[in-house]
Amino acid sequence: MRRTSWREHAYHALLWLVALIFFAPILWIVLCSFKTGDQILAVPPKLIFTPTVANYAKLFSSRAFPRELFNSAVLSVASVLIAVAVSFLAAFSFSRFKPGGTNFLMFLLLSIRMLPGSAAILPVYLMYVAFGWKDTYAGMILFYAMFSIPFSVWILKGFIDGVSPRFDETGIINGASWLRIITRTILPQVMPGVIAASIFNFIFVWNEFLFNYIIGGLSTSNIPVALASGLYSNGGVDWTFISALTTVYIVPPILVVYFFQRYLLVGMTFGTVRGEV
Amino acid sequence: MSSVRLQGVSRHYRDIHALKDVTVEIASQSLTVVCGPPAAGKSVLLRLLVGLEQPSRGRILINDRDITDVPAAERRIGYVPQSFALFPHVSVFDNIAYPLALQRVGRSEIERRVDQVADILRIRPLLRKRPAQLSGGEKQRTAIARGMLKNADLFLLDDPLVGLDFKLRESLMEDLKDMRGELNATFLYVTSDSLEALTMAEDLIVLDAGHVIDANAAAALYQQPRHLRAAELVGFPRCNVLPGRLEAGGLCRTGIVDFRMDRPTNFVGDVAVAARPEHILHRPDGAPATIRLMENIGAECVVYFDAGGETLVTSVPSPSVAHLDMGSPFPFAVSAGGLLVYDRATGALLGRGGEAAHA
Repeated sequence: MRRTSWREHAYHALLWLVALIFFAPILWIVLCSFKTGDQILAVPPKLIFTPTVANYAKLFSSRAFPRELFNSAVLSVASVLIAVAVSFLAAFSFSRFKPGGTNFLMFLLLSIRMLPGSAAILPVYLMYVAFGWKDTYAGMILFYAMFSIPFSVWILKGFIDGVSPRFDETGIINGASWLRIITRTILPQVMPGVIAASIFNFIFVWNEFLFNYIIGGLSTSNIPVALASGLYSNGGVDWTFISALTTVYIVPPILVVYFFQRYLLVGMTFGTVRGEV
Repeated sequence: MSSVRLQGVSRHYRDIHALKDVTVEIASQSLTVVCGPPAAGKSVLLRLLVGLEQPSRGRILINDRDITDVPAAERRIGYVPQSFALFPHVSVFDNIAYPLALQRVGRSEIERRVDQVADILRIRPLLRKRPAQLSGGEKQRTAIARGMLKNADLFLLDDPLVGLDFKLRESLMEDLKDMRGELNATFLYVTSDSLEALTMAEDLIVLDAGHVIDANAAAALYQQPRHLRAAELVGFPRCNVLPGRLEAGGLCRTGIVDFRMDRPTNFVGDVAVAARPEHILHRPDGAPATIRLMENIGAECVVYFDAGGETLVTSVPSPSVAHLDMGSPFPFAVSAGGLLVYDRATGALLGRGGEAAHA
């Protein structure tokens, strides 16, 4: 049996320490969500305390929060579904039919993603007001889908490139339609890529604040906007509200990443590993 | 039963000419092998036939029906690609059943036919496995089974045994012959291995640089290739090619052997003389030569030897040269009757050797 050296122990201890440093703020906010306002502000900080769920009770009994949670979920899920479906078909076309200027188009797609949101917000705002799309679910979902598509196409093209065109040809020779080839042959093979793209987009939309704040409104505001607008109460920062809301807010992404982490890791390789049989 | 005719078929990709004016006929129910070096255009030929690509020029006829513009799915052609292209996310059974499932054949009929083909190819115990759980040979058998299961009477096999070990190739060659017996169909088989080509073929087509340089019954093509490249490409060990000169009166001179042509010819000029290894004999009273290399392949030993400034190759029974080694003398004689004479400029066959002038 291999013996673990002290260097490895030290290395693992260092990794745990780094992880703890990154995890500490999350732990702090989660603990705070079970404290009273006075306990949160106590100096020195109270590590031993009697937990309370009063902050959560207050949060869920408020009129706005359930709707904001619902908005976040609807906007994230709907825009991700649309973005991934459109992106998958676009990526398939780029990968297989290679229209002229594919490389330039792929670069353009990626560069759109590099555009800071603040640079696009004014024209988007004017357009949304002119079209009457401001503060509508359809308008918000369309915007998030549009903003998610370039990156998704980029990720998915890498995955689809890794699936040999010989699979398509086997389908063509035997009489399969393109739709069948795409859905039954290609899609199952790039499912890790589809899930990875979905997770990246979900996290982006779930965390998005700026556009929701500007082109959204009362009926479509999401949790980041709720967090910003409910930050101050009674002349000070409302730490009980912030801690409870943040704890609820981080649970869905953590669950999504936990259950699909192996796909996320594959997604980070952008399909560069060929997986032919 | 399908006969196949290609009439003046060319295929080019921008300035690369993969196939040039190919005109060839494949007899119904034959096992025809297309062989040639890499990049000769063999796979392109199959892709045109199966309908994955369109010819730049020319027509393809199956049973005298022009199918040049017929979509791949409507051609009723079974195809085994060079890459296995097995779907990794479904079982071996579903991979094999794929063509029938697309034709909406009933489940019981699919099971019956998959079992039948799996029995012939000895992969029945593997039907519930995934492709990732199979060995290379098992994957190849699965790919062959899928190609064979299509309702077709023309089957195209694109170098199906490439990359497999010798024993496996031997066994799969037998399986393919059995399959053909069962299906009673026309088989077009592509390989770059001339030994495999000779083992499998009834008819042989030799492709080189996009041209059909010879097409004939396999035995006839081996005995008398109509083009020098065909002589070089078909056969193992390789054919010896000697530079020579054909003189008036049909006397052919090379640095190794001088001989007369078996029939009169008007050609006078530079020639290439092809000598199959079996026409070069190890004779104690023969011309002097020195062994350069010996490859013992079991019953036979391939001997490379230097004579008259050329390196020749022959194959002799292993026991007869067991006492020899590299550098040993290797007296030899050439059977002039087996020599083939080609125009060195065009590669065209001029005739056979006849009587030896002297060795």
